[in-house]
Amino acid sequence: MYSGINISQTDARPMYLQIMEQIRARIAAGDWAAGKELPSIRALASALNVSVITIKRAYLDLENEGVIVTRHGKGSFVADVNGLAGELKDAQLEQHLAEAAGIGRQLGLSEDELAARLRRAWKNNDK
Amino acid sequence: MTSNHIEMRGVRKTYRFFTLDDLSLDLAPGEVMGFVGPNGAGKSTTLRLALGLISPDAGEIRVMGHAMPDGQAAAKRDIGYVSGDMRLLPHATLGWHMDFVKSIYPEWDGGYAATLIKRFNLRTEQNARSLSLGEHVKATLLLALARRPRLLILDEPTTGLDPVARHEVISEFMDVLRDDRRSILFSSHNTVDVERISDRITFIDRGRVVDSSNKEDFLERWRRIHVQLPPGATLPTLPNIVGRVDDGQFITLTTNQFSDGLMALIGSHARDVQRMNLEEIFVANVMHHREARGQ
Amino acid sequence: MNIVMRKLIAKELYVNRWFIAGGSAAGVASALIATLGKTGFNVGSLTWLTTIIATGVMIALYGIMNERKENSLQFVLSLPLSIADYVHAKLLGLLACFGIMWLLSSAAALLLVFLKADIPDGIAPYTVLLCVFMLANFVVVLCGALHALSEAMTSAIIIVTNMGVSVFMFTVAPMPGINKHMWAAAPVWNSTFWTVFACEIAVMAIAFALPFIFAARRRDFL
Repeated sequence: MYSGINISQTDARPMYLQIMEQIRARIAAGDWAAGKELPSIRALASALNVSVITIKRAYLDLENEGVIVTRHGKGSFVADVNGLAGELKDAQLEQHLAEAAGIGRQLGLSEDELAARLRRAWKNNDK
Repeated sequence: MTSNHIEMRGVRKTYRFFTLDDLSLDLAPGEVMGFVGPNGAGKSTTLRLALGLISPDAGEIRVMGHAMPDGQAAAKRDIGYVSGDMRLLPHATLGWHMDFVKSIYPEWDGGYAATLIKRFNLRTEQNARSLSLGEHVKATLLLALARRPRLLILDEPTTGLDPVARHEVISEFMDVLRDDRRSILFSSHNTVDVERISDRITFIDRGRVVDSSNKEDFLERWRRIHVQLPPGATLPTLPNIVGRVDDGQFITLTTNQFSDGLMALIGSHARDVQRMNLEEIFVANVMHHREARGQ
Repeated sequence: MNIVMRKLIAKELYVNRWFIAGGSAAGVASALIATLGKTGFNVGSLTWLTTIIATGVMIALYGIMNERKENSLQFVLSLPLSIADYVHAKLLGLLACFGIMWLLSSAAALLLVFLKADIPDGIAPYTVLLCVFMLANFVVVLCGALHALSEAMTSAIIIVTNMGVSVFMFTVAPMPGINKHMWAAAPVWNSTFWTVFACEIAVMAIAFALPFIFAARRRDFL
């Protein structure tokens, strides 16, 4: 269940963010279905060889985002919100598009040039 | 039991060329504390004080509820101690040591010990003399872990180990944390490991505690800010700047209390903000404190 | 005595088992050799003395200094005992190791004095004094080693006390109360004998008690 989650200390992003992203990705993909129980904080800490405090922080932030729900004394569960996976994916897309727009401006591309690049990527992705 | 596993208040220990002074430290059940400091800072001395092997000249020490060093016989029932330079009795086998420890501690878990033998790739017939450094650390860790002690005190447990052995050893003591009534205090140079597995971190330098906080807090508070000041421009007085390096127009500031307010003061001159890893935080912290003490 | 101390004493016996076995065998053998005529007596007595001294030195050196050197002291001190427990267990354990060898060697010597016709029984008191001296000597060495602050000090203590064997022999053997009856047919247990005996016991008792007062009270053990 959690052996697939990997924390890299050479990655620029802090450990708690890496954990959050990997959990979000699994939820977005549907691998972790709505209502599924997350590993306990201590179990995940032990499995990943990461401090309890880091896992706690990740779970807390995920809960604030509404991605998971923690029931006191029972554990944490993937939030049972309809279309949560879709929402997450949507947020991911927005983020990528914003980055693309930013880089496009830095390169001095026009709006049409950027749109053309997007169409090309769409076509390439189909293969 | 909700009381702390370790409580040290104002502890002082004087040696001829070194003094450990005004040391205070708390470790709660369920916590991992990383104890970081340069060589000779006083890490081993502190851990030995916790075990009652040394007696303080001043201050109070309570471990597992017992006053130390007088209560050490009782406290050590529940403490597992592993030190990087600890060795087993030379002419006895690992199996003999396991039987020896088992006869003293009724809580010995034979099943877990057998699992660890396999996991650590050790053999009970191995003579203590023939063990390599890595095998020695794993053997002493096995003898400590199989008793399932509530408190683990580890003095540089991974120093000198190859990466595979290090991973095995760390995985095993992270397993301890599944139980929130157990805690770990470990000293290390290896800031990468400390950064990864500690809940709280205490920095020690030249016999004094330099800083102690929870790990995420350290990682969020410390930043390097790269600033570019065009000629004629100046920076306002900035709070919480513990380091500053000027290189022409380019200034690198180190802060230990990063905030949006600070960034607002720096304004548009800021080029870039970098997080710092534990090693960088540690070095900056120690340098800052040495300067402050006029060293 | 708690279980940790008992286990440590057992450990001492186990760790030094070859010294105990070897020393005992050599001591008994030397006593036997001493029964083979005049030359045998000289050779046997000498090897008997040497064996007991040497084994005592090995046990004291190995038992105390090596633990410190080999860093296994940390392992022992991590066990649930106090520093006093450790010192007591060490003292009793090493005494037991030497004691077994000493008992066998001394018993062999005395037995042969009484059983062998060509060895006059008159030498028995002197033999007893010599045996007890060897034991007292070892206890003094132990006491010194437990309090010594360095390896050099320990070595010095060992050297000095073993020179004491010669001193003992040159002092006690010529004593009139002893010398006159050494080659007699029957042992004479006179006041000279008892005085020397009492002194030896007193020295042993003091040397045994000192660690309980000083070393065991030590607050810093590493």
